[in-house]
Amino acid sequence: MKRTLSVLLILALSLPLIFANGGKEPEPAVKAGPVEFEFWTTETQSDRLATIQVLVDTYTAINPDVSINVIPVDENDLAGQIQAAAAAGNLPPLIEAPSETAVSFGTEGIMDTAANGALINEIGKDKFYAGTLKLLQSSTGEYYALPYHGWVQGIWYRADWFKEAGLEPPNTWDNILKAAKYFYKPDQNQYGILVGTTAEAYTEQCFTQFALSNGAGLYDKDGNLIFNSPAMKETVNYYAELAKYNPPGPQTWRARDYYIQGKMAMFFYSTYIMDDLALQDAAAGSLTGDNFADLAGSTFDPELVNNTKMASQITKKNPAGYGTIVSMALLKQDDAAVTDAAKSFLRYLYTQNAYITFLHMAPGGMNPTLKEISTNPRFQNDPNGIFKHYGADKMAEIIQGMDSIETFSIVDGKRIEKASKVYAQQIIPQMLYKITQEGMDTDSAMAWAEKEMQKVQ
Amino acid sequence: MVTKHKFIKNILFSLLILVIVLFAVFPFAQMISTSLKYSWDWGNPSLVPLKINWESYGELLGLSQNIKDLPESVQILLEETPDLTKEQKEAIIAKYRDTGDVFPFGEYFLNSLLFASSSAFISLIIAILGAYSFSRMEYKGRKVIQRGVLFVYMFGGILLLIPLYKVSVALGLAGTQGGTILSILIIYVVQTLPVCLYMLGNYFRTIPFSIEEAAFIEGLNHFQTIWKIIIPLSISAIATVYIYAFMIAWNEYLYASVFLKSYKDIYTLSIGLKSLFVSKNAIWDRIMAASMLTALPVVVLFLLIQKHLTGGMTSGGVKE
Amino acid sequence: MKGTLQQQQARLGVRLISPAVIIIGLLIIYPVFYNLYLSFHSVKLSGESRFVGLSNYAAVIGDAEFWRAFLSTALYVFFTTVGTTLFGLIVALAMNKEFPGQGLVRSLLLLPYIAPVISVVFAWQFFFDPVNGIFMHLMVDKWGLYAERFNLIRSPQYALWVAIIFSIWKNFPFTYLMILSRLQAIDQNLYEAAEIDGCTGIKKFFYITLPEIYFVLGSIVLMRIIWNMNKFEDIYLLTDNVKTLPIYTYFKAFTGALDMGQGSAISIIQFAILISFIILYVKKVLKW
Repeated sequence: MKRTLSVLLILALSLPLIFANGGKEPEPAVKAGPVEFEFWTTETQSDRLATIQVLVDTYTAINPDVSINVIPVDENDLAGQIQAAAAAGNLPPLIEAPSETAVSFGTEGIMDTAANGALINEIGKDKFYAGTLKLLQSSTGEYYALPYHGWVQGIWYRADWFKEAGLEPPNTWDNILKAAKYFYKPDQNQYGILVGTTAEAYTEQCFTQFALSNGAGLYDKDGNLIFNSPAMKETVNYYAELAKYNPPGPQTWRARDYYIQGKMAMFFYSTYIMDDLALQDAAAGSLTGDNFADLAGSTFDPELVNNTKMASQITKKNPAGYGTIVSMALLKQDDAAVTDAAKSFLRYLYTQNAYITFLHMAPGGMNPTLKEISTNPRFQNDPNGIFKHYGADKMAEIIQGMDSIETFSIVDGKRIEKASKVYAQQIIPQMLYKITQEGMDTDSAMAWAEKEMQKVQ
Repeated sequence: MVTKHKFIKNILFSLLILVIVLFAVFPFAQMISTSLKYSWDWGNPSLVPLKINWESYGELLGLSQNIKDLPESVQILLEETPDLTKEQKEAIIAKYRDTGDVFPFGEYFLNSLLFASSSAFISLIIAILGAYSFSRMEYKGRKVIQRGVLFVYMFGGILLLIPLYKVSVALGLAGTQGGTILSILIIYVVQTLPVCLYMLGNYFRTIPFSIEEAAFIEGLNHFQTIWKIIIPLSISAIATVYIYAFMIAWNEYLYASVFLKSYKDIYTLSIGLKSLFVSKNAIWDRIMAASMLTALPVVVLFLLIQKHLTGGMTSGGVKE
Repeated sequence: MKGTLQQQQARLGVRLISPAVIIIGLLIIYPVFYNLYLSFHSVKLSGESRFVGLSNYAAVIGDAEFWRAFLSTALYVFFTTVGTTLFGLIVALAMNKEFPGQGLVRSLLLLPYIAPVISVVFAWQFFFDPVNGIFMHLMVDKWGLYAERFNLIRSPQYALWVAIIFSIWKNFPFTYLMILSRLQAIDQNLYEAAEIDGCTGIKKFFYITLPEIYFVLGSIVLMRIIWNMNKFEDIYLLTDNVKTLPIYTYFKAFTGALDMGQGSAISIIQFAILISFIILYVKKVLKW
């Protein structure tokens, strides 16, 4: 009896293995060279992955001893995946991550700050835009990661609607609110503006720009919490007022579709939209003359790209811009050979041809952090013609904006690590959600947020 | 009067069935609709597309074979990289062209099918034996075990994830593709086993002893009884439990996303669909088409099983 | 040395159950103790950990958000369990009759259950989208039932209810199949006898059908409670504004502060609540 049972068990357990191999010969997990490592990228789109694979293949062709496994990890899953890998002790040596995320991982002690610093020096500290490097520095001056590419955010708006209504571009608090009110026509299913109102990063990004333009911060340069200030309260109230002209309910960046469909006048978005709008332009190509007739009742505007403009700075007390730097980070490893290989590959990604190949995956959305690349004519000749469309001046303005990104976590050039944790814990977006969606009043919501911030060590 | 009464009853009954069916399928109408729309039509609330767009289906099924252009930056990169042989260049280009713009639907589908069917099968075998033991035999600790198996569910799956992954890495399983397959299968089996045991145990208890007694008299042992009497008599319950176990593995995302991450060859559909969703370019038509294609074969599969199912039920005749 | 027939039986019984017990035991024991350990520690990503006593528990219990999540979970579990079971029962009773096109209807009813969660949530989101969705289009523009559009699927006041309906929609097929397979095993003679006694449809249901399916219903309810208490993907993927305990745990442990210690503490507390409830339920309802 025992035998029958064990036979059955073995059969049951081995069956899937037979199955699994039956369908298709699995490709051997690359074991060509003595060094093998994983590179986690947040570029999850298949066309971008294909390009990254070309970069990897080219590198490994020249360095046959190394093999690199590219793993796409969605930005929202990154923390969880890192959590699992850290617990299991198999963290990858190289990851791509937004700077705030890299800093919050860094404060948890998993970044190889020595390797990151060494590589920055090797490339040349003065070759980077100083502002982008600063974003990745710890309070003691070490580097949690290397800045690789970045975007700035702004308000994208229907220039044609604004002109027709005789409104000023949305670059000051008053102009924005006035236009949001004007275009908010819910009975016609048209909305004034999109600002984030869910408890996620997008909301924080929209809000930060307003707060900075009003001179409101979280901490002073000595790390004292100064969140509960009149300027902050004014910003929160203003933001809540603005959110009334949003599409119904909690909203996030996905609602930018409403803009593309001509149902919204303004929205906050990164320069990635340039690429998306260009795609939209391509979609318009599927509309032949015949189809236009059917479209009579629809809201699609084939001229959308030309009618869209961007205001990258918002002014209240002072003009402020906002953006994000995406970094490449070397993580602590047990095996020094792996770190060296990952470092060497990252060094390669900064070489001119490789770098431009990477950035051209999303023209407009990915901008260089090395000065010499941004003026490189090859970089400016992007495949989607974004440089041509928006003009060299606008692009220079964007890159300039990247160099001067401000965040709550750097005050007078000093890194306040607590502010990065406040960002990671999404305290501000939660507060704004409470106010705009749950009807909490500003004072109690701010008191709640302040209490949460005090818990952060 | 009687016929009129019956007529009204029939109408009401049909209405009830109609309402139930509509409730079950309404999201699928939305799915089909969006999968057939052009992107400029997404803002239109109607479920009827202004113009039918088959592209997404063609693309997912690999019917539209347009060769991907090599971006200029890639061309320059390859040309200007010294020490690269012609063969190496061609290999890189071929690989680039080979990587489709959308996810390899067929491959993921097959992977999901294999994971789901084999974990459900293993789970079922172990559960049939265990449930038979529960319902037919007396021994010390039986009740404790019987209740205890349900404990597995009382801990949220989220927090089991990290320790299980840790174990898998420590045992060296997560480092290889075969080991990863094994880890995931065992996890799926454990996730489904308690319910299979519990449901089958309850069902076996309703099968009268008298039938088995006759079998024992004819000289069958316990295994033969299970095989020849219990399984045929409870085929419908077994099928239901199988569907359950199958669907758990078929739907599973959290564990798959952590364990399978490094092995693209064994990605499942839920990972594939998720990676379609997170891509920031607007591709709703493809997402919806992929969702439809995911659902369809399973529906067909169950349609086939079902005929078998009802047949088994009537001929089994579970009557005392 | 064969022992009595009873001993033989017992030995065989143990052998038959042992594969299940071993495989479950091996996989569950370590994680449970691991979580228990974590719940008393403060852990960093780098692996450093520090014993903090009960402070994780204190932090969780002292947090109003936890109690809100607890309330949401209670509502979610209660209404999904009742809804799924009742609706499953109605469908099972309807499907127990023969009618033309039954095969097709049966397959269509399986659709919600077999479509991967991740593929259907987006259809739901489209359907109920406040600006582009057909639901609001019909309700506001076509039929004028509401004066203005609102965000059914994401606004905090409605989202929980949509999540509940989604869960009922997703899971009723399994419930109805379980009930149906029991219904079809009921001896038809019982009904014939009842008819001779002059019983009507409703009476037949309460005196014959219900007692016959009592235990199936009881175990379905039990399973639903346990499952839905720990439900993660069905809620998380559908709408971001329903915070039940598993989702609250996820946000604590996997995002932001990456606080595994508090996450583990929550799951231990949740475990304690669930287990006491289950013991009560099993004793009172299932009478094991």
